[in-house]
Amino acid sequence: MMRAFQALLHTEYTVFLRDKASLTFTFLFPVIFILIFGFLMRGMGDVEDARLGLFVPAGVESKILERTVSSAGSMSVTLYDDQSSLQIALEKRTIDFGLIWDGTKLLFLYDSSRVQENYAFEEVATGITADFSLARQGLSPVLSVEKIHVGREAATDWFNLVVPGILAFSILSAGLFAVSGHITAMKERKLLDRMIVTPMRPIALLAAIICVRLAMVYISTLISLFIAMTVLHLAFDVSWFYYTVFVVASTLGMMGFGTLIALLVRKPSSASNIAHILSIVMMFLAGIYFPIEIMPSYLRTLSKALPLTYMAEALRYATGVIDMTETRFWGITVAMFALAVVLLPLLARYVVSPDRR
Amino acid sequence: MRGILRIAAGHLFTAFRERVTLFWFLIFPVFLLAILTLIFGNMGQEGEISFAISVVNLESNTAGPVDFAAIVEGVFEETGTASEEGKEPLFTLTHPSDGEDLEEFLAREKEALRLGHRAAVIVIPEGFNQELLERMMRSSSSPSGNGALTIYINEGSAASEMATSIIEQILAGVDREILTHIGHFQEEEAIPSETLWVGSGGEELSYVDFLLPGVILMGFFVNGLFGVPGSILFARDRRVLRRYWVTPLTVPHYLAGFSLGHLTLCLIQFVLILVLGRFAFGATIKFAEPMPILFLLLGAVTFLAFGFFIASVAKTANAGMASANILNMPMMFLGGLFFPIGGLPTFLKVIVYANPVTYLAEGLRMSLGVQGETFSIPLTLAVPVGWIAFCIFVASRRLSWDVK
Repeated sequence: MMRAFQALLHTEYTVFLRDKASLTFTFLFPVIFILIFGFLMRGMGDVEDARLGLFVPAGVESKILERTVSSAGSMSVTLYDDQSSLQIALEKRTIDFGLIWDGTKLLFLYDSSRVQENYAFEEVATGITADFSLARQGLSPVLSVEKIHVGREAATDWFNLVVPGILAFSILSAGLFAVSGHITAMKERKLLDRMIVTPMRPIALLAAIICVRLAMVYISTLISLFIAMTVLHLAFDVSWFYYTVFVVASTLGMMGFGTLIALLVRKPSSASNIAHILSIVMMFLAGIYFPIEIMPSYLRTLSKALPLTYMAEALRYATGVIDMTETRFWGITVAMFALAVVLLPLLARYVVSPDRR
Repeated sequence: MRGILRIAAGHLFTAFRERVTLFWFLIFPVFLLAILTLIFGNMGQEGEISFAISVVNLESNTAGPVDFAAIVEGVFEETGTASEEGKEPLFTLTHPSDGEDLEEFLAREKEALRLGHRAAVIVIPEGFNQELLERMMRSSSSPSGNGALTIYINEGSAASEMATSIIEQILAGVDREILTHIGHFQEEEAIPSETLWVGSGGEELSYVDFLLPGVILMGFFVNGLFGVPGSILFARDRRVLRRYWVTPLTVPHYLAGFSLGHLTLCLIQFVLILVLGRFAFGATIKFAEPMPILFLLLGAVTFLAFGFFIASVAKTANAGMASANILNMPMMFLGGLFFPIGGLPTFLKVIVYANPVTYLAEGLRMSLGVQGETFSIPLTLAVPVGWIAFCIFVASRRLSWDVK
């Protein structure tokens, strides 16, 4: 019995290594996602490192303004000789936004195509205007504010939150496709017809597929995490126990969902497409790349119904990016395990059956 | 000619019969346009976002001439009411329960902030009124101390960052009101500020107007990258093409019919996305000008040629799909369709500058007047044309029309 299972494991392992598409999707895609989005999102809308272009015509007093701008944060300021060179710099994206002070009013210039970032630059502009108005009258704000950070220290960059989200997304898509794609491919090639006449139990084949794919998904998440830490220099305070338990639980849970897909479709390409469509739709709504908080309320409600939202949240906790209660973390983990425990044995006999349609 | 039209019609019918094709070519671009516009279209606008915060007023001395602590608290209480019926209030405030000790309430709220259930906790300290009064007499501020408001934030939460920024703006307004009230600040001498939008004829660009050209090009791109090699290679692998070649149909006729079908599919895709963008999301950009039409046509033809290129280098349909999948993400996201690509490192900029999507996206947006000139128009035309020539050259030499 055990020898038969070992043989199945070995076969599944060999099949996985020979399957270039599975290898690409499991190992290469998360890394590409992390690298592309890491570099794309780094500094997007980050006003701390914003570049301001300033033009003050000759003869106009600018010392107070320069002091105000320099106290507005760690922005870099470049002086321009005229308005047209400032506009060209803005169009060429040498600067993020511009400011012209003619002695009577402040004119802020924005690149209209930076629609996702201008919101942040406009806020800085509002602050500069308010402080400059006070400073011109020899005043300073009477309300002083002290900001104190509460929470994990690792969570200092939005991309720290994105990386565990991408890991959750790759677990979701790999889990959904692992069982459904493989079983439908075996059905299509009539391999299941041959295996079913052996003494092998359906759950044993399913277990072998799950074991191999689970190990590969786990290794893939480790590689992705390692690349995020070394190439993008992101800091994570990983709790390896929580991380391992959750990756295993969520992969199994998603494989459980994948068996449902395998029940519904005949072709591996259909299984792949359904898995792909489901994961892409969830990716946009589960706060992987965009914070859930900036969504309208009805989308926030919808995101609460998606498993990917909770998977991303639990992985962020396990990688030390956000805090959550132990009860919540274990609640999500147990729910994922429960999905697998209920769905996999229940559906095994229906999924691992010859194609009679 | 009839043969060409029949091939075109066959390509269209096949595309519409495949549910997956329909999803990727028609439903996905529409979904993307809808979801991104819903998320980013009203970002930061009152009534669209709401943050859970709490204000803890620890000031017990309210006997002075003005209760500043109550003023600050009152301003935030006001933000807890929606400005319009049916809209969300900017802040949802949590209050201490009856008789609850304020220090205990503060500890509870800080814990809620840590766990992500609050976006910020504002604390008005004991002695705030006296300190503010003294500070106004001195007419100066100190960065911190007994009279400083404390805002507890969670830097790992985007909600916390956004809420803090809004809170600071509200406090700047309160600050000015207090200074005006006591006669220190002359409102009529306040410096006015104006805004100039560069790159869109001086008008502020709506998010949907920025996004729409990107989504249309993405639709064409996905159509060319997956649809073209998919159709040709599956037809070849299943020996459908072999049957064509025993009829009077020639390869040039087949190519003409296929291309016509593909471009018709792009046109249908364009009309659908445009109608949705215009009527559901209020897009105002006008494509009915020669230059935008030229860029749309150039985009459709470039991606069609790219599809032929993939079909010519892939040995099987599955290999073609895998190649398309690998090229899809880098080309789409490093082409500036949805996100700015200015701050990328050099090794990724190589992909950006070699990518035809970059020039098509920039060229289309420039011709629509939604973006300033980052590349010259001749360059945005020349690079895609160069890609078309390269792809056709490779395809003409390598593309095999029958199973070997």
